[in-house]
Amino acid sequence: MGFIMDGLDAEEYDRQYSDRELVRRILGYFRPEGKRMVLVAGAILSTSLLNTGLPIFISQSIDRVAADPSQRNLILALLGTVLLGALAWLFNALRQWQSATAIGNVTLRLRQDAMDAVLRRDLSFYDSYPTGKIVSRVTSDTQAFSAVVTLTTDLMSQFLLVVLLIGYLFTVSARLTVILLVLAPVIVATALGFRHIARKTITQSRRVQAEVSAHIQETVSGIRIAKTFRQERSIHEDFLEVNTRSYRINLISGYTFSSIFPLLGLLAGLGTTALVYFGIIDAREGALSAGTWFLFIQGMQMFWFPLTSIASFWSQFQLGLAAGERVFALIDDEPKVIQRDERVLPAIAGEISFDRVDFRYTDKEQVLQDFSLTIHPGETLALVGHTGSGKSSIGKLIARFYEFQGGHIRIDGVDIRDLDLHAYRSKLGMVAQTPFLFDGSVRENIRYGKPDAGDEAVERSAQLVGHGDWLRSLPEGLDTAVGERGGGLSMGQRQLVALARVLLQDPSIFILDEATASVDPLTETLIQEGLDLVLAQRTSIVIAHRLSTIRHADRIIALRQGEIIEEGDHDGLLAQGGHYAELYNTYFRHQSLEYIEAAGQLLNGAA
Amino acid sequence: MSRNTGEFTVADAYPYNHAGVRRWIFSHVLRYRFLFLRAVLLFLIGWSAMAWVRVLIGDAAREITSPSGPNGLLMAALAVLVVSLIDSFAHLGGSLSIETIAQKLAHDSREELYVSLLGKSQTFHDRQRVGDIMARATDDVNQLDFMVHPGIFFIIEIVLGLGLPIVYIAFINWQLILVPSLFVLVYIVTVRSYFRRLSPVIGAQRMSFGIMNAGLEETISGIEVVKGSARESFERRKFTRNAKAVRDYLVQQGTIEARYLPYLFYGLALGLSFLHTMMLFGQGRLDFGGVVAVTGLVSAMRFPVFISVFAFTLVQLGIAGGERILELIKASADMDENVGGHSGRVEGDVVFENVSFGYEDGMVLQDISFHVRPGETVAIVGQTGSGKSTLTDLINRTYDVSAGRILIDGVDIRDWQLDSVRSQISRIEQDVFLFSRSIADNIAFGMPTASRERIEEVAREAQAHEFIESFAAGYETEIGERGVMLSGGQRQRLALARAFLSEPRILILDDSTSAIDSATEDEIQHAINRARRGRTTLLITHRLSQIRWADHIIVLDEGRLVAGGKHEELLRDSDLYRRIFARYDVALPAAEPLPQGQGER
Repeated sequence: MGFIMDGLDAEEYDRQYSDRELVRRILGYFRPEGKRMVLVAGAILSTSLLNTGLPIFISQSIDRVAADPSQRNLILALLGTVLLGALAWLFNALRQWQSATAIGNVTLRLRQDAMDAVLRRDLSFYDSYPTGKIVSRVTSDTQAFSAVVTLTTDLMSQFLLVVLLIGYLFTVSARLTVILLVLAPVIVATALGFRHIARKTITQSRRVQAEVSAHIQETVSGIRIAKTFRQERSIHEDFLEVNTRSYRINLISGYTFSSIFPLLGLLAGLGTTALVYFGIIDAREGALSAGTWFLFIQGMQMFWFPLTSIASFWSQFQLGLAAGERVFALIDDEPKVIQRDERVLPAIAGEISFDRVDFRYTDKEQVLQDFSLTIHPGETLALVGHTGSGKSSIGKLIARFYEFQGGHIRIDGVDIRDLDLHAYRSKLGMVAQTPFLFDGSVRENIRYGKPDAGDEAVERSAQLVGHGDWLRSLPEGLDTAVGERGGGLSMGQRQLVALARVLLQDPSIFILDEATASVDPLTETLIQEGLDLVLAQRTSIVIAHRLSTIRHADRIIALRQGEIIEEGDHDGLLAQGGHYAELYNTYFRHQSLEYIEAAGQLLNGAA
Repeated sequence: MSRNTGEFTVADAYPYNHAGVRRWIFSHVLRYRFLFLRAVLLFLIGWSAMAWVRVLIGDAAREITSPSGPNGLLMAALAVLVVSLIDSFAHLGGSLSIETIAQKLAHDSREELYVSLLGKSQTFHDRQRVGDIMARATDDVNQLDFMVHPGIFFIIEIVLGLGLPIVYIAFINWQLILVPSLFVLVYIVTVRSYFRRLSPVIGAQRMSFGIMNAGLEETISGIEVVKGSARESFERRKFTRNAKAVRDYLVQQGTIEARYLPYLFYGLALGLSFLHTMMLFGQGRLDFGGVVAVTGLVSAMRFPVFISVFAFTLVQLGIAGGERILELIKASADMDENVGGHSGRVEGDVVFENVSFGYEDGMVLQDISFHVRPGETVAIVGQTGSGKSTLTDLINRTYDVSAGRILIDGVDIRDWQLDSVRSQISRIEQDVFLFSRSIADNIAFGMPTASRERIEEVAREAQAHEFIESFAAGYETEIGERGVMLSGGQRQRLALARAFLSEPRILILDDSTSAIDSATEDEIQHAINRARRGRTTLLITHRLSQIRWADHIIVLDEGRLVAGGKHEELLRDSDLYRRIFARYDVALPAAEPLPQGQGER
């Protein structure tokens, strides 16, 4: 009943492994569990032998006791049955216990390897694949893979049981065994046929489920609007329609699944009838004993169940292997950013030079071409330009998040490709447009860039930002939980935390992608005050969206399609009336005091 | 029925029992009692037939030693076939009936949940995360569905599959029921203890998997910070710790599952009952056919033992899911429609008298008093979390005040008819919510009968006409996942158009959208200016221009009104307000000798 058919879209790094390669990889993970797996295999074999032996023993006991109902034969029958049953249980327990341990260990190793592989990647990887998909490779695909291993050991013991039983039955009566076997393909074909139908109905039912979800989600998100306009009734009518449709489709899908087992049971009934009829004819002729005839009848039941489960779990088996393949593809992919050396600069002065750099994210679009720029130690450099002008890319290249295709980037005269990335990045401070916070307290988040800082140091840097005024609005001060991704804090508060984080880290180079999101004017003032502090003490590169930032920058670079069009300071560039003036009129004019005062005339004139 | 009628009710709703989760589920199933009875009856027939087949096989066995005539064997085989067919078809019928109930239960409980959600107050909705409600309306409803089919279906199978064989054995020889009956007793005890040990481990295992997943998702979402701060090894350790916890619970679960005792006891019961059968056989009190029948019947008891593991888990999950759904349904609706209240045209005079508002865990607003005259524009300024939105929420009775009162045109809003007061107050959120419908339908949301001319007219007033026309489908453009994505400024102007159509007397505007470029800023300024004309307007705003030029400014800090007045007054009185404008190098009025912190306690 468990057909999982998620939309498994292939990623660019996916690769096809040959069966041999796949098996080699899987076995490689199981090698440390070698002893356990031998134990598991032994237990599987023992369980199957014992489970086959039980009905055979019962059938023979019937014959034996029928011939001679002595006390000895009765005791033997009891002891034999109980012993076979108990041992089968014991070996099965051993198998489950050992295989759960082995599979747990293998899955853990696989997850660790996948995690290591993910952390090795550069940012181009994270740009290309959504977070959810990466996460599901590391956690869910590994889980699907381990489920398959469990399933395989289960199915192996059942399959072995069938083979052993059939083998024995064949030696007893070839004719009856053939009757039994005739049914096998019919059962398998029926199960497969159902799978085909099930796949269709499942797709439909998934789709309608998504529709219901979308409707409820929209209602709940928009409930305030519905209430304000008193439109609950019309929304409810829409829902009734969707819900009824969902009921109908799910009913069809449910009926399909409900019919499988009764219909397969019907086939088993047919087989039993045939065995009763032909078996008794043979028994009358003395070709087989009464006990053996009964063994065939019992065998029908034992035989029927494993076959149906093998047929219905086949797709799950395939999906699990595919999941394994996806995990291996993730582990095997190579990062694009590769360092040639591991030089550690004892102290970074903060001179950054781009020397004829070529850069593109994908082959489609060149971002920077033959780009040269020198940023002096301690300078505050503002980058302005339209979307796609390449201003953010410059910051990301300095952070060595991406590989560039030509030229050189040097930090204090040393090629960035020769640096020890770990040491270099710990001297780098960054604040993104929407600062990311980790679930935890404000204190932990400020400390993130400098894990060994004491509480006092954390508090000091928090106090420095906006005179510490922002801390008052946090219900529990620095111990306030920021919530998932910082969702418990406002966008402005997150920026303040990020600034405090950078202040504590005290980096040599600071890269800021200024927020475009709107923040209330009070918080905005605090952010600007905090920013002044951070910018004052180090080489800073600001992708600017705020008028006050460009006003106070040492140098402004106006970019267009990866080229420096103009550079200078605010007043000088504005007077030139060139590209910068156009950018100013588009993005910054409305932030000026002149604009605010002019708006008053508009409002007053209209009132 | 819940005691509080809520803000929305359906006239002919089916009365379910809300006294407890089991009773609630029971009342849902009871709605289809005839279908349920039919299912039980069919299963009874099915299992009787199944047990009967074993007896018939025993009868057929007698044909080996003592043939009953030329056609005896054929008749015996045909009997097996016919009863097998009855078994299969009865099972099929019963299974489909149960499936129908399962789907109806899913449908009905979702409908019940949905209606109750519509009736809940905004206070309730604010406290619920959308994701959580979604989980209950989908996953938990599915759990209910699975609980009935195959969960309850399996339970019926277990009861009948263990009970009926014993009844049939009793007909063959009543002494032989001794071992199977003892087994059933032992089975009940061991299955219970098995689940008592397994459930907490499974719960812990699920939770640990969730923690691992969430932790990894966080690391990857924040990868720029992780890499930028060179903290990869920290994140790796965190992941390994979480993954180890998952592994440990998995192994623990496997260890418990490995010791599923009912199997062992079933094996013992099989041996003992076989001994018993053979003893009676040896004493000549049971013939060979009887041995075959009884052994076959005891073997048939293996299936119920096997499915117990799934059956009880499904029922447990279903009850847990039902509990979560019922919890939502039963949550108090807080308000009702106040149909007999005051109604009439609102002039727009708003008075707050010592208003306080809060939840159990703290006050959001404290002792707020102010007066807005009809047609005035008030700007509300304060940091995030200072209570600005909550303050405006009280005006259209999204929430009720905890203390003090709010008067609209001199009448306490709690004495107004909910419909009358809400329909004359329009509120535009910061995150404007638009439905996945056409632009025209969204504008006409509150007034579905509005003509196209009227819709275009209000769109023009809201400065939205131009960008709407720029889409290929114009007003028929679909919004949302399957349609266009709009910018914050565009969404805001659509919301303004939507509000214009209903001609509200009081307009509340959470104008925290920022314009990326100056041209958009111009349009938004025009639209808002048009909106506030002729009506009382409350603006929560980030725009300095609006703050600068409002009739009245209210500064909130931590739920208290700390300063109020005109721009010039605030420049003089409020330190924080001064700091905002200081950045613009304004010539500030001579600062009063106020100690720092006054005006923003």
